[in-house]
Amino acid sequence: MTAPRPAAGAPRTYRFPDFERHVLPNGLTVWLVPLPERELVNVHLLSDAGAAAEDEAQAGVAALTAQLLVTGTRRLDAAAFAGTTERLGIEVSSESNWDSARAAFQALSAHLDAGLGLLAEMIRTPRLDEREFERIRAERLNDILQARADPGRLADESFLRHVFAADVPYGRLSAGTPETVGALGATDVQRFHATRYAPNVAHLILAGALDRDAALAAVERHLGDWSGEAPGHRSFTTTARGGRRVVVVDRPGSVQSELRVGHPGIDRHDPRYFPALVMAALLGGVFGSRLNRRLREELGYTYGARCAFDPRRAVGPFTANAAVQTEVTVDAIRELLGQLARVREAPPEPDELAEVRNFLVGVFPLRFETTGGIAAAIEPLAVYGLPDHWWREYRENLEAVDPAAVHRAALELVRPDEALILLAGDAARIRDDLEAAAFGPVEVVTAEAALSR
Amino acid sequence: MAQVPIERRVLDNGLRVVLSRDPRAPAVAVNLWYDVGSKHERPGKTGFAHLFEHMMFQGSANVEKGQHFSLVQAAGGTLNASTWLDRTNYFETLPAHELELALWLEADRMASLLPAMTQEKLDNQRDVVKNERRWSVDNQPYGDWDERIQALVYPEAHPYHHSTIGSMEDLSAASLDDVREFFATFYAPNNAVLTVAGDFETDAALAMVERHFGPIPANPDLPSPPDMTVEPSIGEEVRETVPDRVPLPRLYLAHRIPPFGTDAFDALEVASDVLASGRASRLYGSLVREQRLAQDATVFVFPIVGGASMFSTWVTARPGVAPEKLEAALLAEIDRLAAEGPSDADLERVRNLHGSHHASSLERISERADRLSMYTCLFDEPERVNAEVTRYDGVDAGRVSEALREWIRADNRVTLTYVPAEAQS
Repeated sequence: MTAPRPAAGAPRTYRFPDFERHVLPNGLTVWLVPLPERELVNVHLLSDAGAAAEDEAQAGVAALTAQLLVTGTRRLDAAAFAGTTERLGIEVSSESNWDSARAAFQALSAHLDAGLGLLAEMIRTPRLDEREFERIRAERLNDILQARADPGRLADESFLRHVFAADVPYGRLSAGTPETVGALGATDVQRFHATRYAPNVAHLILAGALDRDAALAAVERHLGDWSGEAPGHRSFTTTARGGRRVVVVDRPGSVQSELRVGHPGIDRHDPRYFPALVMAALLGGVFGSRLNRRLREELGYTYGARCAFDPRRAVGPFTANAAVQTEVTVDAIRELLGQLARVREAPPEPDELAEVRNFLVGVFPLRFETTGGIAAAIEPLAVYGLPDHWWREYRENLEAVDPAAVHRAALELVRPDEALILLAGDAARIRDDLEAAAFGPVEVVTAEAALSR
Repeated sequence: MAQVPIERRVLDNGLRVVLSRDPRAPAVAVNLWYDVGSKHERPGKTGFAHLFEHMMFQGSANVEKGQHFSLVQAAGGTLNASTWLDRTNYFETLPAHELELALWLEADRMASLLPAMTQEKLDNQRDVVKNERRWSVDNQPYGDWDERIQALVYPEAHPYHHSTIGSMEDLSAASLDDVREFFATFYAPNNAVLTVAGDFETDAALAMVERHFGPIPANPDLPSPPDMTVEPSIGEEVRETVPDRVPLPRLYLAHRIPPFGTDAFDALEVASDVLASGRASRLYGSLVREQRLAQDATVFVFPIVGGASMFSTWVTARPGVAPEKLEAALLAEIDRLAAEGPSDADLERVRNLHGSHHASSLERISERADRLSMYTCLFDEPERVNAEVTRYDGVDAGRVSEALREWIRADNRVTLTYVPAEAQS
């Protein structure tokens, strides 16, 4: 009754949209991506003001500064700033990660000029007052409390805390600890803003329904006379705390163990970027990946198992994760480690590799369906200085990854013998089995202890 | 605002087909809504509609276990499925030239799922779903709030009384016979809507749909819909306190309101946005920014159609703030909006935010396809997607305050308070 499986039609070509780049006299780099037939425009302003730029004693100042920016300008207080932007249908966001801070909005094209004016006002003359600072800081401290109670967040943050050597910034909680956040004052945020938000280290990305000349004129009008100079980013190298070991973050009564297994991975400029990407997808990046197939579809231990690299300016983590039923914690760890070992044993079969590579190549146009997706695609070019042809050559680079390259990437970049095995779970129910399994020395810590060092 | 193009067909077997062409990007979305959700489950079978959704990925007559995912992903597509109170949806987004693959895969499992079913696959997916429940409900702070709220807002006999994820006991009891019966009952072309959105040639797409879905027989004995009748209001104030492993108290308020699709629902959707959408919203401004009683504030209405929907609110207390104090401040804001109605500035703000969100959502062909399926499945009216903005903008201040006064009242309210377990007793 059923018709036979159909053959695919002829593919239509897809090109990443053309973009242009201008550097204003004050050093601001402007990226324009005009997209005809769109209603919306996305504006992302990136500053070299991520957590990597902060001192350890002030951990959290980058995140607090980014969050505080949206609470008003010298001209408009918090309520007025929110009201003025939202009346245009604009919600301004401002957040930071390790390598940059991003202030952004999306708007119907008619509001581009007004929105850009408000964004510029926010970046250049933020209010950063004591009263709103106190509020945002208290909310951040409460969020740390909430994170400790949430097993997934607790495991994520504890893992980073334990996987890197003590002096590596990436081991800090990127939004700070209760101690460092509690010690920050509004003047710290004002100083961080004054020294880190400046045109010479900033990039403005505009993508969507825009007229090139009008958009450039608007940028010059609102940001052309923005002055100031900030130092470039800090560089550091990352090292692992080292040695295979097991850390249990005790969460009595947990019905699952939130498992994180990994070690330092690659940085954003690693020449093995594409082999690493394909290898991680094959191991734990697609539904039929080895980890998910084994732990979920064969064993039913978890709702999902996956792994990924998190490449940053310096070497970021490689992590495999799954939330597994408490009773099968040890077996799940054994299976997971087994898959990490297996990917090192031999190159993948060509069919298995083709499936994963075709996925990564084929979803390429879907990633850029929205104006926001295209603006986000420009970000790594701006933040990491990737070449302009990055997206044009992206699919060719993926297609060049052969079984030998995957195997080489696995041998060099997946190291189960050095992996930190961290789990947030019920220590009383799993500790003895973990000891007996001899994955490595077992340490049991409280949530509080796991998040300090 | 750009209109979403819509073409409709009905196949001889009753499958409703909606096409929405957009050749801007070389991609196509396929979306199927089956008119079956957790509201169709019988006592003792909670969670089954969702477990069944998992079984739909375990292979069919011409597709191996796991192959549905792998074929779509190898074609450069994304896919998933979800189950909720009213429906189950299945969807793929692929490069345009792979449209027929998705249609074939969906048709194969609609036509011939059962030959591929085994006890081993059911046992495996039962374990997966139980782990999904552990992960999303049992091991999550505040994780069972919606389960508790549904049980308190709807009476025991009502199909919305139980959660979509279901109970561990009922999941344990599910059998292969249940799979066979559920499939035979609900997975038929005359109980489904198929939407194709994106880059395709209409005649060619229709020919593919006919080729793959046309031969699938209808179920001539579709059961009549479950009885969703319920009193319009709860009729009393209901309170429950839950000691839980949470660091901060959180209040959940829920009210029984007219279903999705009614004018009152639209008015309450606007009210929810005035109260909690954005940093210029009433609750954020008052409870979070000015009074500093709450860490966050959220309000939303459930787009469900069975007898009554819900207007839900949650606010998380700051440390040291008594839940009673937060509750009083929250109710004062709601009552003030009910009494005075929104200002012109409130309405201008939420309408423009809604317009931006609408345009942003509809940028994705997958979202367009899902909404077309939804409006066809729930109302037999896909054109509603193009009326969303006018319906929203048509709500004036009077309708907002009238709806709040009528529905958001103490004798139609469930209040669920989570408190840190140590602080109890």
